[in-house]
Amino acid sequence: MTFPYLLTLIVFSPLLGILVLAFTPKTKESAIKLIGVLATIPALILTLYLYIAFQLGAKLSDFAEKVSWMQFANPEVFNSVYSVNYELRADGFSILMLVLTALLSTLAAIASIHIKKEWKGYFILFLLLQIGMFGVFAAGNLILFFIFFEITLIPTFFLIGKWGYAEKEKAALSFLIYNGIGSAILLIVIMFLFAKIGTTNIEALMSILSNKAILSESTKMTLLIALIIAFGVKLPIFPLHSWMVRVHVEAPPSIVMLHAGILLKIGAYGLIKFGIGFFPEQFQSLATWIAILGVINLLYGAFLALIQTDFKKVLAYSSISHMGIVLIGLGAINSAGVQGAIFQVVSHGLLAALLFWLVSIFYQRYETTKLAELGGMARAMPVTAGFLLVGALGSLGLPGMSGFIAEFMSFLGLFKSMPILAAVGCLGIILTAVYLLRAVLSITFGEGKTTNKVKDMETIEKIPAVILVCLIVAIGVYPDLIASGLTNTIETIVIGLGG
Amino acid sequence: MMEFAWIIPLFPLLSFLLLIVYGKKWGSAAPYIGMLLTFASFIVSLLVLVARFENPTYKAEATWLTIGDATLTAGFEVNQLNALMLVIVSLVSFLVHMYSKGYMQGDERISVFYSYLGLFTFAMLGLVLSPNLLQTYIFWELVGVGSFLLIGFYFYKEEAKAAAKKAFIMTRIGDVALFIGMILLFWQVGSFEYDEIFASVSAGTISSEMITLTAILIFIGAVGKSGQFPLHSWLPDAMEGPTPVSALIHAATMVAAGVYLVATMFPVFAASEAALMTVAIVGAFTAIFAASIGLVQKDIKRVLAYSTVSQLGFMMLALGSAGYVAGVFHLTTHAFFKALLFLAAGSVIHAVHTQDIEKMGGLWKKLRLTGPLFLIGTLAISGVPLLSGFFSKDEILVATWVHGHTILFLLAIIAAFMTAFYMFRLFFLVFGGEARGDTNHVKESPNVMTVPMWVLAFLAIFAGYINTPWFGSFLGDWLTDGNAALGHGHIEGPIWIMGLATAVSLLGIALAWLIYSRKSLSRDWLSSRAPYAYQLVNKKYYIDEFYHFTVVKAASILSRVARLFEVIIVEGLIKLITAFITGLSKLGSRMQDGQVQTYGTVAFLGLAVLVIVLALTGGYL
Amino acid sequence: MSTVPISAYLTLALVLFCIGLYGALTKRNTVIVLISIELMLNAGNINLVAFSKFGMMPSIDGQVFALFAIAVAAAEVAVGLAILIAIYRNRKTVNVDEFDALKH
Repeated sequence: MTFPYLLTLIVFSPLLGILVLAFTPKTKESAIKLIGVLATIPALILTLYLYIAFQLGAKLSDFAEKVSWMQFANPEVFNSVYSVNYELRADGFSILMLVLTALLSTLAAIASIHIKKEWKGYFILFLLLQIGMFGVFAAGNLILFFIFFEITLIPTFFLIGKWGYAEKEKAALSFLIYNGIGSAILLIVIMFLFAKIGTTNIEALMSILSNKAILSESTKMTLLIALIIAFGVKLPIFPLHSWMVRVHVEAPPSIVMLHAGILLKIGAYGLIKFGIGFFPEQFQSLATWIAILGVINLLYGAFLALIQTDFKKVLAYSSISHMGIVLIGLGAINSAGVQGAIFQVVSHGLLAALLFWLVSIFYQRYETTKLAELGGMARAMPVTAGFLLVGALGSLGLPGMSGFIAEFMSFLGLFKSMPILAAVGCLGIILTAVYLLRAVLSITFGEGKTTNKVKDMETIEKIPAVILVCLIVAIGVYPDLIASGLTNTIETIVIGLGG
Repeated sequence: MMEFAWIIPLFPLLSFLLLIVYGKKWGSAAPYIGMLLTFASFIVSLLVLVARFENPTYKAEATWLTIGDATLTAGFEVNQLNALMLVIVSLVSFLVHMYSKGYMQGDERISVFYSYLGLFTFAMLGLVLSPNLLQTYIFWELVGVGSFLLIGFYFYKEEAKAAAKKAFIMTRIGDVALFIGMILLFWQVGSFEYDEIFASVSAGTISSEMITLTAILIFIGAVGKSGQFPLHSWLPDAMEGPTPVSALIHAATMVAAGVYLVATMFPVFAASEAALMTVAIVGAFTAIFAASIGLVQKDIKRVLAYSTVSQLGFMMLALGSAGYVAGVFHLTTHAFFKALLFLAAGSVIHAVHTQDIEKMGGLWKKLRLTGPLFLIGTLAISGVPLLSGFFSKDEILVATWVHGHTILFLLAIIAAFMTAFYMFRLFFLVFGGEARGDTNHVKESPNVMTVPMWVLAFLAIFAGYINTPWFGSFLGDWLTDGNAALGHGHIEGPIWIMGLATAVSLLGIALAWLIYSRKSLSRDWLSSRAPYAYQLVNKKYYIDEFYHFTVVKAASILSRVARLFEVIIVEGLIKLITAFITGLSKLGSRMQDGQVQTYGTVAFLGLAVLVIVLALTGGYL
Repeated sequence: MSTVPISAYLTLALVLFCIGLYGALTKRNTVIVLISIELMLNAGNINLVAFSKFGMMPSIDGQVFALFAIAVAAAEVAVGLAILIAIYRNRKTVNVDEFDALKH
């Protein structure tokens, strides 16, 4: 059913591509692009294999790997050592994220055809980023998690700073500073836990920390708040979001696909796995605040998206708004809410990737994303306009697409625990419709404003869009498709919450 | 047969998918695909309806989504109301598909048009078949999208763009209320299934406040969809869409979905007197409110749109007065005669290429087929005896009277009078008198357009006879069969109501005839006497302006506040932090001036500080 | 014979050191800066000598160190002046505040 080192293979499979690229002359554009796309395929196949094996009932413990890596003495207890292992493992949630990562990486690699310079360096960094993302979701202990987390930061920094738009350097810098601070806080938490408890293995920590005697209540609370800030930067939680707007606007769209699709979701992943996983009781006492933050995120992002004049900014604030749904789901602290949050993580990943891919397509042709300069795209590029409308409708939570399921479950959860707050949050559903329609209709409908002769999507450009739309609709029509794999994860979390 | 009912919505879905993918390639063959598949839907619907006469309600469902302990299901149900709606929807949809073949002839995006029609029909049929509230909500939103796409079909027109957006957003406001009501009910009942909700309601496990609250929230959803006051203003604007769409979506089917929802959830409403009262008041107010606006409109489609709003108000009034049968009955007859009116109006527009009734006139002689068809529809909606609208409106009036809403009854009577008046005003201005525009090139529409109208005209005349006080209330008995919560199949009312209804409608017609045909009364007679009132009505009571200055302004002000917050607080805080850090490093770099003496000073000061610290702490930090 | 107390030596050394420090940090002429540094070194020498007589364990070591320090200081002044002359040839100035090559 399964073979050894599957996870290791998945995580490091992009290395093969890096190796081949290293020996490719940097002027051969099409060869590099081809290699870049092909290099993401093995990981895609392997993660799909993993997913199918898991769905068919393979034991999760079969996937786990553990190799001793380094040890050093523990000065507090005689004759014992701190050991850091190379250990990978997967559960329903992380398998889902691995599949999403592999898929979006392949699609983003295809989307990289619009990259115009230094393809070799681009794809090497791209594949490095992919290794980092896989590692984050497969890591079995916090040290490994942190290392891979850092590995995602550096390639992203260069990818934004070198291949982005006008103010790319500024965006890259603010990306690095914010995330650097976030990961510094994360490192403090990890080191604190390591020093106090002696292990960073995630499962072990979960069971040890459930013992009340191990750390004082206030220490746990401090650690949880530190974790929320660390991952809140990534998610991003209001008011730590301004770097993310800049990145969304300035980074190349193929990187934004990955960034909005996967990198932001590391924040949600960390909050769910470590925030709730390690400190369920403390999380519960913070739940109201988390939900309030979620509603603020939702409404604040929506109101700001309403008056943006640049489509990329609309999407950036819409991402902030949509991440509010994740917080709302988590703040609900019941199975519906948590499931909704996870669904939103997946769904927004797909939708953001779709929308930014379309941005890339029409930016390629019109060389602007300003709403005032666009219009009437439905006439010049009907297929693109159609996909854009589908993306917007999915994003505003139209039933039959994945966004609705996530929104529905998150709110279902929140209405159980905090009905008044949920009712306020529902205002966000209306606002989402307002700002998305305003933006998308002013691009697609109306009279054409540019006189550029443009061609509609090419076949190669249609591939990512079609795949994404199919997945979005598939999840929306039959959500049990991914919900069934999540049952265990959610049960574990909800039991931890005492529900 | 009923176990195959799930296949009904799949035909239009197939039509949608085929046409959206291959439509461009097939070109002019697209309409036939759409017609064929909708016709298949209609046939199956008809068979299902026939089967439902003999068999009990059929229901099937399967697991759709598991949330914790709760399992949500998806499936379909065929009960009396569903079966009836299936036939109405698929029939009108088929007729509109057919009609559009002529109306949209020559439009290069005709395949797109047909695919959208397919999507809408799929969603509407799915909505009708839903056995639970969640599934209803899902299709509820999908019909909204179908409507949105079709209103915005002429996407290059700014008005169409604005209208599509407005329609989507205003109905979305209602939808969110429905969403909240649905979820609240779920946490009370533990299920979205209609059966279980009704069981809980009748078992009294839900507090009465909760029932009222959820019922009103669900009703707000219906208000949005059915264009009831105060969420009505999108519906007249929706007339920017192609006319067949107005007939299908904004007259016969989608806007009736709100009424259908209230009818489906009727046992919940019936459990709360306050909720019923709300429904009745909103319905009656909308009926007279929209009718009064209809009196002065100059666009043929807008008059019909306001009349739709007004008629939907009648239906709500019926439901709110516990007249379940009356509401559903009027829904049925209205679907036929309003679709007929819209298609006939479309035929007129197709012939004269304008929608302004001031530029029409004298078309009776030119359009020998459309004219009589339009007249049939006008007679039916005005409640002239022996046509379908007469019977169903009478039922509503009786239900209102019997339920004891005297004031609402009066409002309804006035609204009925206005209806007759503005419909005949429209008729006389369009068809009567002399031509006011260029009518030389006016040609009657092709058969493919007139045949659907004949079918609808037939139904507009005779559909009323399924439920009359004279020949028995077949429809009512059947609808309420086996479900006491829905009330009686027929409500006995005083006979004078029928006489009164006839009188007001004839009075309305007569007045319209005097003013617009005989011209014995000046057209400006009223408007010159009460200019402010006229202006108020003409401007649609300034509702749009009101929204613009309250809701829209509020939203944009909030957005601006949020942006100020973003710029000043969030960005400002960051600027402050970076300024602090850069300031600190500036200070540090000023030390680094290359002067040996500065270095010496700094080193010495540092040493001094260390020594002082050491002295104060006694050696240990 | 009453001996001079150690505090007097130390105070003298402190005063000398402070004068030296002041001179080293404030004078513009590099020659004076060098002289001031000599003052500070000699303040140190006074301490060494004083402690070799009055310290916890009086011994000749302190005086030996003082001699070493004097020798080293002499060598340092020689090197320092040589560098100074080299700089003067280049820059035509001995003002210390005009020498900021360290910044670059």
